Amino acid sequence: MERILRNSEAPEIIPCDFSSPLLFYPIRHHSPVCSFQLVRTIEEYKPDIVLIEGPENANGLIPVLTDENTTLPAAFYYFYKDTKKLVSDDAKDYKCYYPFVYSSPEYNALVSAKKLNIPAKFIDLPYCEILIATAENNGLRKNSDKHSYADDSYLVQNRFYEKICEKTGLRSFEEFWEKYFETAGIFLTPQQFIKQMHTYCRFTRDDVSQEEMIADGTSARENHMAVRIIEAMQEYRRVLVVTGGFHCIGLYNLVNSGKKIKSPRLHKMPETHHGCFPMAYSYEAADALHGYSSGMSFPYFYDCAMKKLLESNSPEGVYNGITLDFLVRTQKEAVKKDIAVSIADITSAHTLMNGLAALRNAKECGISELFDGVISTFIKGERTVSTSIPLDILSKLATGDKIGAIGDKSHVPPLITDFEKNCKKLNIKYETAVPKNIENALFTSAKGMETSRFLHRMDFLGTGFAKMLKGPDLHKNKDRSRVREEWKYRRTPNVDACLIDHTTDGFTIEEACSSVAARKLMSERRCETAAQISVDCFLMGIPMQQAELAQIEDILINDGDFFSVGRGMHSFEILYSLQNLYGFEDKSSLAHLTRCFDKLVSSLPSMANTPPERGEECITVMKYMYGIVGNILSERLDDFRQALITMSEAPAKEPSVFGAAMGILYSIEPERRDDAENAMKGYLRGSPEIKKQGAEYLKGLFGTARDIVLIDDRFLRMTDELVQSMDYEDFLEILPSLRLSFSCFTPNEIQSTAEIIAGMYNSDGGDITDMPAVDERLFFFGEKLDREIFALMGKEDMLE
Amino acid sequence: MEQKSIKPPVEVRYADELAALKAADTGKKPENWILSPKAVRTFIIGGKIKTPEGNIDISRKFYGNDALVERCIITLAGSRGLMLVGEPGTAKTMLSELLSAACCGTSTNTVQGTAGTTEDMIKYSWNYALLLSKGPCREALVPSPLLIGMEKGIFARFEEITRTPAEIQDSLISVMSDQILNIPELGDEGLVLARPGFNIIGTANTRDKGVNEMSGALKRRFNFETVEPVKDVRLEKEIIIREAQNLAAAGHIDMPIDTDAAELLAVTYHELREGVTSEGTIVEKPSAVMSTAEAVSVFYQTISHAWYYGDGKTDLKILTENLLGAVCKENKDDLEKLKAYFRTAVKEKSSKVGGTWKEYSETAKLLK
Repeated sequence: MERILRNSEAPEIIPCDFSSPLLFYPIRHHSPVCSFQLVRTIEEYKPDIVLIEGPENANGLIPVLTDENTTLPAAFYYFYKDTKKLVSDDAKDYKCYYPFVYSSPEYNALVSAKKLNIPAKFIDLPYCEILIATAENNGLRKNSDKHSYADDSYLVQNRFYEKICEKTGLRSFEEFWEKYFETAGIFLTPQQFIKQMHTYCRFTRDDVSQEEMIADGTSARENHMAVRIIEAMQEYRRVLVVTGGFHCIGLYNLVNSGKKIKSPRLHKMPETHHGCFPMAYSYEAADALHGYSSGMSFPYFYDCAMKKLLESNSPEGVYNGITLDFLVRTQKEAVKKDIAVSIADITSAHTLMNGLAALRNAKECGISELFDGVISTFIKGERTVSTSIPLDILSKLATGDKIGAIGDKSHVPPLITDFEKNCKKLNIKYETAVPKNIENALFTSAKGMETSRFLHRMDFLGTGFAKMLKGPDLHKNKDRSRVREEWKYRRTPNVDACLIDHTTDGFTIEEACSSVAARKLMSERRCETAAQISVDCFLMGIPMQQAELAQIEDILINDGDFFSVGRGMHSFEILYSLQNLYGFEDKSSLAHLTRCFDKLVSSLPSMANTPPERGEECITVMKYMYGIVGNILSERLDDFRQALITMSEAPAKEPSVFGAAMGILYSIEPERRDDAENAMKGYLRGSPEIKKQGAEYLKGLFGTARDIVLIDDRFLRMTDELVQSMDYEDFLEILPSLRLSFSCFTPNEIQSTAEIIAGMYNSDGGDITDMPAVDERLFFFGEKLDREIFALMGKEDMLE
Repeated sequence: MEQKSIKPPVEVRYADELAALKAADTGKKPENWILSPKAVRTFIIGGKIKTPEGNIDISRKFYGNDALVERCIITLAGSRGLMLVGEPGTAKTMLSELLSAACCGTSTNTVQGTAGTTEDMIKYSWNYALLLSKGPCREALVPSPLLIGMEKGIFARFEEITRTPAEIQDSLISVMSDQILNIPELGDEGLVLARPGFNIIGTANTRDKGVNEMSGALKRRFNFETVEPVKDVRLEKEIIIREAQNLAAAGHIDMPIDTDAAELLAVTYHELREGVTSEGTIVEKPSAVMSTAEAVSVFYQTISHAWYYGDGKTDLKILTENLLGAVCKENKDDLEKLKAYFRTAVKEKSSKVGGTWKEYSETAKLLK
């Protein structure tokens, strides 16, 4: 930077001579002015071939992009699987997009070449070679989940423009670009424009060191592009090279150096390891504001400008017209949202915009003036989140919410075709990037279930297309009584990218899901997770094949974790009981359920001495088992009872698990009540430490047989005796267990229990409930304390 | 003999700059403006102008959002009024003074809105002695700043408009819509038509929101600009130093400005206003106004104390005491918040940075 500032003269720039056999045309991605002047340049220069910056392995897809049925935004999606570890030892998968909108100079170059019937080619290294030539954390290997080939970061994130902004009083690169290039550039001749671009880009290049360009692959790429240019010059008379402005000077120097250029050696790659697909893209993703640092912000606005520029005979008034158009659209949308914005406000905003353009010496109003106009006149009062809605509306309008489409479907990956076919069939709006909500009745029509299955499939593939907001959650066994699902869905380029990634998994979404489920099962060893995959398949309506069923069987046999098998059994039970309702015949769930049950029965006695911290989980599994023998596997009741008896006779027992076993045994054979009572008496007569275990015993007992309390007051008296025998400190210690013991009772049962206890102390309960009111401040303090504890627990992920 | 004043109006303070801008101004001017919009912008946000004698530097007077200044200027050249809203101490009044002085040559044509502002103060009133002796005539009329603005084609400034009852505010509607003020007592001569160049700059404090909410009809006649507090701590420090220097010069206080103390204050105000420290620690925001203007006031008090009672050096203990007085004046909870800020943020900086922060941290015991 200092070097640039010290120079009093502008450095040498590339000559712009339309009579020369080679012409370098510098661009900024998605810039209408670059496109507009490029179209004029092609008309005037009349090249024999157009060479464009872009990975050359997409050359075969150029006709797909320029197909008249293709609607932009669209993108080329490049992927590379580094199984050969040519990029790094991590053997990672890589992907990136090369987006095109109507204002993209590359697209306009391709279309112009098609019109003139001359060849157009991409000349950059294939995507995988760029990755190989790039150092870690540089260029396309930066740590980001968003990679765009069309990266303008050198143009927009350089220190040179910061100095210019400082000098000219502009706020950002975008404002600088709009004022000096976008709106002013359309009034220049192509030669003047090219010269101006070269000058700016030359300065930005001076701010980047050779080491940086080697690290991010620029040097290797430019070498390769230079070789391709020289090859083209040997074949064609007039060659037009369209590349990012940053590369022009590098390419110019290489081509004119007269030296032999060392281009990187291209590796032989199997076709399954790298490739390129055309895909629909969204304006939102093409917006530079969303983190790709490629192209321009507000792509839809600039696309509209580009269309107007191509339609009009003169660029005069194009930006004034388009800004007014967006102003009116913003007003209309604001009115729809009940925001009072009148025609007078439009007039006032328009006057203000023109005044600002004049004050800023801009030729016409641009997007900055448009935003300023809306800020001043549409926002009534202080600018806050709620009053800034007109600004949000304008942002959305200018960004655009449309999604493109690929005309020639023969190049579209089959999964995307199937996705679109399903969406069309189920009336799911997939041609917009605007999030949509859908309420889906599951059981009233076949379409409802089909929609649910399709959305579950998209979710299972990890596309991010749909997210269920409400509805039965069979994975967690929650909200099973719901008969409707509410989904939020949205198509983004990531959805397409993810579907492309699954191309090898099948030709349809269903096949892909089936393959993914099978693959997941193959690497699974836990019954619990295998059962969850079964739930996924159930929700997706995809029957498991024999091989997967055998795999589940194998997992069940080999999983030695009692709790994992218990939870897995519960999932299979859910599937078994819901198969009729969901219209999904699943014969395997009963077999899996039985297998799990048998396994649990055999290991139940050994769970008597479960560690205290896992007592609750053990009780839950025992309850699942009791539920199953009472309903589905009644013939196994006796086995279960026997296992419980063996368990209760074990010498060392976890009190809560023991209590639960006694409770279930009492439920099976009510005559065992005395056994349960005697066990409790045993705890009462024990040492203080044993007494404390009585509370745990009650927790387990009441959890599985709460009616034992309600028949008479004997257990309540024993509980009372337990509490009476404790000193204050010990009481506090057992209090959590005691509270949990009573948590399974309904409010009515708690009321009647309280009345029994009050009776034991010769009270009618009134003198207890009519206690003096709590001090209001204390109450609020308690509430505040509660909130803070919950907030803290939430932060620490201690809340479910 | 030259009359001294505590705070000369903007047009007097910057008379040289205004004259230089006027002389060099070749831009188009709205009718009755003394400078073109471009020159007004240069006057407010600073820059260089070329004169036959060479380049002249125009100082920057308003820091922050330059685009906001541009929008204000263009709004005033149009048919709508300009309403500046924002937190107290964000230089709304200063901006309106600068705009008035640069566009009309005067910044003193002002109505101060209060709960006691009446329609007479906004439109016109009478000199009752003359009224009784001569009857309703022009001579007996006492014009309000609004009427003066209409007659001369200059701006009328309406400060703290939302402190004024809503029905009184609404008396502006007809003036702003029709650009006419009718004085029925004067008969046929009572119709005052606004001259070109007339406009209204209002200011409203967002802390007063809801006190006297402006009617929708009145809001429609204004373009609103929200003036945000300074977001950059370095800039805030510069403003504190510059303003304190100006105040010190006006008060004949001749001592060097302690830039480290200014930085402590700028950081303290910034972090308490944003509710988060530069280290990412969350701190509770006091309910008191934590504006740059308040920080300047605290700093100037500290300088004055050092000049009159001390040894001419800024004492951090006095700075903390003044800070206490400025922060804890409305709500007793603010004291606890300030203490907590010293316990966490200042202490953390004291151990990390040391130096003046350590000294500053030690003054925490004065917070009571």
